[in-house]
Amino acid sequence: MNEIFTNLYNKVIGFFRQTEKQETSAKDVACNRLRVVLMQDRTNLTPELMERMRKELVELLSKYVEMDKEALELNLEQDGDQVALMLSIPVIRAKDEEEIQKALQESEEEKEKSEEEDSSEKETSETVDSEENNANKDSEKEESPQEKETDAKEENPSEDKK
Amino acid sequence: MLSYPQKILDSLNKINYTTNIKGETMSGRVIVITSGKGGVGKTTTNANIGTALARAGKKVVMIDTDLGLRNLDLLLGLENRIVYTIVDVVEERCKLKQALVKDKKNPNLCLLAAAQTRDKSAVTEEQLKDICETLKKDFDFILVDCPAGIEQGFQNAVAGASEAIVVTTPEMSAVRDADRIIGLLEAKEEIKSYKLLLNRVRPNLVKTNDMMSVDDVVEILSADLIGIIPEDTGIITSTNKGEPIVNDDKSLAGKAYRNVARRIIGEDVPFLNLEEDTSVMGKVKKFFSGLMGKEK
Repeated sequence: MNEIFTNLYNKVIGFFRQTEKQETSAKDVACNRLRVVLMQDRTNLTPELMERMRKELVELLSKYVEMDKEALELNLEQDGDQVALMLSIPVIRAKDEEEIQKALQESEEEKEKSEEEDSSEKETSETVDSEENNANKDSEKEESPQEKETDAKEENPSEDKK
Repeated sequence: MLSYPQKILDSLNKINYTTNIKGETMSGRVIVITSGKGGVGKTTTNANIGTALARAGKKVVMIDTDLGLRNLDLLLGLENRIVYTIVDVVEERCKLKQALVKDKKNPNLCLLAAAQTRDKSAVTEEQLKDICETLKKDFDFILVDCPAGIEQGFQNAVAGASEAIVVTTPEMSAVRDADRIIGLLEAKEEIKSYKLLLNRVRPNLVKTNDMMSVDDVVEILSADLIGIIPEDTGIITSTNKGEPIVNDDKSLAGKAYRNVARRIIGEDVPFLNLEEDTSVMGKVKKFFSGLMGKEK
């Protein structure tokens, strides 16, 4: 008799819980996994390329802010019909002006060095251009408005970078 | 056996005669039915939409382009009537009209069968285009049954078409492949529009959040819907009998397919409500069946 009641109780509770916790349902798991896979399919960005992009971003952004390099997350997400590149960076500490200047100078020097090695300036600027075009094509040049701050940082210095 | 072909040829000549006597110059719509993934119900969809359109009084021809793996003839119960195939037409062993197999029941419906002994390279894109162009003059609808995959067979099937129906099921692999197909269709200039047909939906599983819902799939693929077909065991028996399920007036899947055909013709038909009984009694029943341990 007791068993029947506990069974009944569990069923009642379960009945109400079912409607509450929908996040873990098989359907939601499927939807989320599909979205991620389709993003990759549509943009032709392999996990390898994503990792490379992540590393390059870390390198670039750490000139301006001190951040948790391991925790930088880079994901493609769908927002309606648009594909958005979502970037989440846990900032540990803002760098002061001196530090930023120093980092920028260092990178300029490095760049000059590499340019000297490459012998001609034109060639490098051309390769930068074409690489940027490719990147734009791949990510379908859609960036999310939520990431304006990081986007702004991304766009300007990326020319210095390579 | 020998008398068989002659009979068919005669009946075919009759169709031509009626078309000619009317002196109509029709310009049919060429619709390719495709999916990427195999086994989601392309051929079943083709047989049923074709039959439903013919029942609605349209002149329909179905082209099976799955060379080497033909099945449309089985679903229509026409496997014993095939004399010539699309390869015979292309290689000029017969005229196009001789190769059209008339349906058993509906004189408005014809099949141009695929060859079973050849591979996809036996017919080219250009040849299929020409066949579609020729058939346009005599039929309202030309339904092209596309093979699975995205290789040459797909390219051939799509070549002559200006519209597409992408069949998918609410499963991850099928949706992913449908997305790929949609990408390929969008890149094709000849394809003016494509619509999504969601097959094998299981309302019970959708309700318990175990299966993606129609809305989920439509949102993920961001494509227009032309039909929702519920999973129906009747499909198995109808395939076994060689009798499309649209001919069964009681079947829900049959009704859903008939609705798809009406939408293709241009009617505004609301989608079937597949949600089962949501009344209080329904819930009570479900609750008690749960208690009895039938669920989970």
